[in-house]
Amino acid sequence: MNKNKYLLLISSAGVLLLLVIAAVSENFFKEWHGIQASAKNPEGAIESRLRQVVNPNLRTADRCVTCHVGMAPGEQIASSLKVAAAHKPVFHSPSEMGCTVCHGGQGLATTRDDAHGTVAFWTEPMLPAKYAYAGCGTCHTPLGVPTSGVLANARKSFERLDCYACHRVDGRGGTIRVGGDVTGMEGPDLSATGIKGYNAEWYVGHVAKIASNEAWKNAFREIPDHERAALKVFLDTRMGASRLVEAKAEFNTLGCAGCHKVGNFGGDAGVDLSLSGFKDPNQVSFANVPGEHKLENWIKQHFRSPVSTVSGSQMPALGLKEDQIDLLTMYVLSLRRRTLPDVYLPKDRVRAMRFGAREFVADGEGIYAAVCTACHGASGGGTRFPGLVPNPSITNPDFLELASDEFIAQTIIKGRSGRPMLAWGERENGLSADEVAALVAYIRKLGGGVQAKPDPLPRIWAKGDTTSGGRLYTANCAGCHGALGEGRDGPAIGNKPFLDIVSDTYLTETISRGRRGTTMQGFATGSVIRRSLTPSEIEAIVVYLRSIGTK
Amino acid sequence: MASVQQSALSEFWDNLRGVPRRLYEVTFRNGVPKTDRTRSTFIFGNVFLHLHSVRTHLWSLRWSTTAGLGIITTAAFLITVITGVLLMFYYKPYTDVAYQSIKDIHFVVPTGRFIRNIHRWAANVMVVAVILHMARAFYTAAYRKPREFNWLIGWGLLVVTLALSFTGYLLPWDQLAYWAITIGANIAQSPREITDAIGITAWFDIGGLQRELLLGSDKVGEEALIRFYLLHVMILPIAICMLMAVHFWRIRKDGGLARPADADERVASERAQSYPVFTEQPEKTYQLAALVKGKTSAVGKGPENTLPSMPHLFYAELAVLMLTVLICLALAFVSDAPLKELANPLVPENPAKAPWYFLGLQEIVSFSAFTGGIGIPMLCIIGLGLIPFLDRETAGTGEWFGGPGGWKLVRWSILFGFSSSILVEAFAIRFGWLREWFPSVPQLVITLINPGTVLTGIFAVYSIWLVRRYNSTRAGALGLFTCFLCGFIVLTVIGTYFRGPNWDFYWSPSQWQAH
Repeated sequence: MNKNKYLLLISSAGVLLLLVIAAVSENFFKEWHGIQASAKNPEGAIESRLRQVVNPNLRTADRCVTCHVGMAPGEQIASSLKVAAAHKPVFHSPSEMGCTVCHGGQGLATTRDDAHGTVAFWTEPMLPAKYAYAGCGTCHTPLGVPTSGVLANARKSFERLDCYACHRVDGRGGTIRVGGDVTGMEGPDLSATGIKGYNAEWYVGHVAKIASNEAWKNAFREIPDHERAALKVFLDTRMGASRLVEAKAEFNTLGCAGCHKVGNFGGDAGVDLSLSGFKDPNQVSFANVPGEHKLENWIKQHFRSPVSTVSGSQMPALGLKEDQIDLLTMYVLSLRRRTLPDVYLPKDRVRAMRFGAREFVADGEGIYAAVCTACHGASGGGTRFPGLVPNPSITNPDFLELASDEFIAQTIIKGRSGRPMLAWGERENGLSADEVAALVAYIRKLGGGVQAKPDPLPRIWAKGDTTSGGRLYTANCAGCHGALGEGRDGPAIGNKPFLDIVSDTYLTETISRGRRGTTMQGFATGSVIRRSLTPSEIEAIVVYLRSIGTK
Repeated sequence: MASVQQSALSEFWDNLRGVPRRLYEVTFRNGVPKTDRTRSTFIFGNVFLHLHSVRTHLWSLRWSTTAGLGIITTAAFLITVITGVLLMFYYKPYTDVAYQSIKDIHFVVPTGRFIRNIHRWAANVMVVAVILHMARAFYTAAYRKPREFNWLIGWGLLVVTLALSFTGYLLPWDQLAYWAITIGANIAQSPREITDAIGITAWFDIGGLQRELLLGSDKVGEEALIRFYLLHVMILPIAICMLMAVHFWRIRKDGGLARPADADERVASERAQSYPVFTEQPEKTYQLAALVKGKTSAVGKGPENTLPSMPHLFYAELAVLMLTVLICLALAFVSDAPLKELANPLVPENPAKAPWYFLGLQEIVSFSAFTGGIGIPMLCIIGLGLIPFLDRETAGTGEWFGGPGGWKLVRWSILFGFSSSILVEAFAIRFGWLREWFPSVPQLVITLINPGTVLTGIFAVYSIWLVRRYNSTRAGALGLFTCFLCGFIVLTVIGTYFRGPNWDFYWSPSQWQAH
């Protein structure tokens, strides 16, 4: 019995000890207790308690302000600790929106690593400070973002014309007071003109000021039209998150949408990126990723070397520069569109999702950059990635001369079945007829303005013998274009959508004259390895080609 | 009139002053339990304590008799009840807020995470203890007459304990829970493997029915959560309380714990060291005890070698109770209860694992859902229930490993059980099974021939051989039960530590590749 008594005594003492330890550490030794102890408000020390920002509409309860106590709603708190500092001024009040909706992380948590989401089993770690503006993507979708070249040009114009002297943009500039006296107004802040709008007649107003105001004579000069167009681009893209707009411009410039879908627009060859900012870092392989196991490092490495990062990835290594990769990483992290209650649904998102507004500038240049560049190249010269179907040049003068606008437009609209070229006009939310026309015009512009030669003949006119045509095809064409025209190094000329729109003139001329700058040599003249073909033989090949296309 | 009023008033005043004294008297109706006699009446007069007998045999008080396993199980249950009720204050059984409420318990409820940890560890301690307790009862042959019925009650308690633990598994609504229950539900559906094979699923879908009963829907969702919650916090706790009451009470009615026929002689030395027996003559204790049936009761043998339950047994029970609390608290201190990502039906866990005590079955399920999920469990459950009816020998009752063969037989059986389970598993892991060799083999064949059934067959043959060799059912039972435990351990360990994504074999979880 004594043994039992001692066991009871020791066990009870142990239980008591553990309970006391639990109670003490719970009530006094949580990290946030120390942080709050260091903080003061105008009345003195602050009450030590859990704090949170609750937003029932967003279904968030963010306890981040328990440590970041300086950001707690309605409190003026000063502390020697950086963690307890106040939030810098932003468009959306943190005391209404909370923290996680922009920054990610685990709002319910009250310990550091859990709250920052850098723990196992939390799928959404905080966005790194460097990419903080990616958080805007939770709700917002910047629309009509131009290519990075246009955007950079716009920024240069704004700088060159010294608009920063009077105007403030993203916290920079706006220091000069025109007129020299303190009553003179500095120019308005232009950081959000793309959202809030601006007076479209501003230039007229500025010019009028030169006449009426002595000081303005020195401060302002007339601006040529093309510079004003650049300034318009700059003003239209000020959405309070200039780095995010730059990132999106990069995405819109590299033609990523040709393979990847974002929201409701884009190709299917690559994965749908719409929610790729929510990728769970615990679910990706860091085996070949240098550096810390963080999502941004994974994304960067993926851009550098897609196949070694994701085994079996079809994405070619694009040879991007580090600053491009940085921008694209920011953009990918910003793809985190959450389901939102109507009160918080921003206009840009509504326009993109419900009315199909483009996220790029929908002129010829913008569409080409956003959709076509990745495959056909920035200058339309075609690309060739190891292991993938080669993509033909579409600015080759021989091509542009033979291809009618209708032919190019139909190619864009209907695509090529079973090939990387999608039917961009027939897809859901695909390109409209106007957009296709603009694109065709831009492709001609890229090709140096070569226009199609008028073709008086009907579309199909070639006559010949299929059997001899087949023999000639096998001997001369099958090596590059495939036995059935399915395409190898050369394009898929047996593809039915192609044969449905191409004219015999286009085919015979291409065969006889070839295409300059490609391995397609003209067959009307011989070479050291083969004899020349006669026009009737070329016609026979065309007839044969049409016969295999109908199979 | 005045004097009457006055006396009634003063009586009222006296009564009022006398409340504390009367309260004390009605509470301790037979005086303070200081003497053996008042202690006996105290036990008798208390509805909870009277589940104990008034006096306890010295044999029962030995630590080696039971290792306190029954009390550990009970203590763990009490801990889960207390912590569980605390958790219920904050837990919300709705799919859209359940996970969030667990996060709140972790981060905001004072010591909430600690309480949840204790709850989880107590539940695991309870599962382990109830299995060990069953093994103790088996190895000491305590299930024999007159305790067959109590063995069956214990058998029910085992099933309800596992059910309690399993239903609690879903409640956090995280990935672990969601996919474990998905596996569980698919196992419930596994009779389809048979009905499909013989082509009668269309009109006799017992598997689909079981699954639907379990989930209340065709997928794991809100209906399943409410169902599991109700089972976990109400129906199963009530069931287990009732079974426990009967279980404890039957111990007394069956004459205390099983002990060897010569227990009295063997405790003689301990008696001398104990608190003196019979500090005073009891008045009526043995009149009641005389009504108790059975030859192992104290009837006719006199009260020698028994001690008053209060305080001897109570000290032992309280000591084990507090020790269990200490163990659960200590475990809760060093190890957090898991909480994975929010349940996401679109992202399957790979591997998705059932609770650990079902991983042995899941290991067999990986070959045949029916065999692992229904066939073998039913065989085990029926087999365990039949033990007291098949072994009706008397030799060795109350002795550890009592009966023909004894510890030597058990030792060999441990060796045999472990080696045969490991060999069969190693073979299946190294060389694959029928499906890998003959991809077109009908599933019915695998249902009949898989590592689970092969092991069952080996164990069955081995125990039949033991029955013949020792000419004793008990010997066969000892061998079979030991092999069963060994197989359970081997399969559970393999399922827990050596199975990774796609249920492939891995030497260590660190080799699982991110997928």
